[in-house]
Amino acid sequence: MFQMDFLDDIRRMNCRQIFYQFLNFAMIVSSALMIWKGLMVVTGSESPIVVVLSGSMEPAFHRGDLLFLTNYEQEPIRAGEIVVFKVEGRDIPIVHRVMKVHEKEDGAVKFLTKGDNNNVDDRGLYANGQAWLNRKDVVGRARGYVPFIGIVTIIMNDYPKFKYAVLAGLGVFVLIHRE
Amino acid sequence: MSVSSAMEENPPKVNKWDGNALKNALDDAVKDVLLSHFSYIESHKLLDGRLMISSVAVGFSIFALVWDWLYPFPQSRSVMLVCVVVYFVMMGVLTWYTTYLECGIFCTALNKDVAGIDPDQIWNASSSLKRFDNKYHLCLSQRTGGSGRPKEARTVLTVENYFDETGKLLYASVAKEVLRLYSDLDSKKN
Repeated sequence: MFQMDFLDDIRRMNCRQIFYQFLNFAMIVSSALMIWKGLMVVTGSESPIVVVLSGSMEPAFHRGDLLFLTNYEQEPIRAGEIVVFKVEGRDIPIVHRVMKVHEKEDGAVKFLTKGDNNNVDDRGLYANGQAWLNRKDVVGRARGYVPFIGIVTIIMNDYPKFKYAVLAGLGVFVLIHRE
Repeated sequence: MSVSSAMEENPPKVNKWDGNALKNALDDAVKDVLLSHFSYIESHKLLDGRLMISSVAVGFSIFALVWDWLYPFPQSRSVMLVCVVVYFVMMGVLTWYTTYLECGIFCTALNKDVAGIDPDQIWNASSSLKRFDNKYHLCLSQRTGGSGRPKEARTVLTVENYFDETGKLLYASVAKEVLRLYSDLDSKKN
């Protein structure tokens, strides 16, 4: 019964209104995209919000926590800070603490990281032959966090069909629903 | 010129508990009456304006997406900044446009002068229906193109009188109200 009523709304729309429905959908997606890009610009980090994927930083961060990052060039990297970095050639960002820092006068740094809950430092995680990380490997420094919320992202990534189903459902709803 | 329109033959059926659907059905019916009972032409200027603003905004967002993909983040920073700012400015413009310029108008019909000398008569129909309310406010306004203050006629329709129990629109009752409003307006002297 309800299905027919919904589609009826669409049938009564002319070309312009149908185009507007698509534009509406595009605007919602664009708004989300622009907020994300805006955050990237403001924080200076290519990924301003990340989800903790492993328990290597317990008890500080647990799997599923959401982290807010900033990546300001002027701020130096110091031992004891929690950084999110990407190893060259690998996609997945890692959240660990900086253990040792070597700094030159011109500002070039080399640093070593280790997860709080790990027994060994991260040299095993770095690329073959790499013993230190550089400034350019850093995605950002953790500035704040929200616990648990990231579990949704982890679930969506573990069950992609669920993610596509939710997104498709939302998309169809926006397209069909007339303002 | 009373030609039976498609909507008159087959009035839409909506979910009678959905206020939004009721308003849309009534709006469509009013528009249908205005366009089919008189030989008026619909003007799409208002909706076109809205489409234009939205398209520009979405265009900037797509541009930002593509640029960032071609020139990954740190290099694309300034372009990103410009796109984000322009996008949100456009959103502001769109909100202003819908609130102040459009003002609930869902139909603009033009009564073109046959001889082509006099300016067109512009008829605007606007409506509002508050959430969870049953009073549909309809306002018909007439303005002679170019100058002239608009003449307005308003009415309030209680929605339950215009839909039957199954949610089917009672086209004839709506048409009666619209035509009454129209003749009220037409006979009003400035």
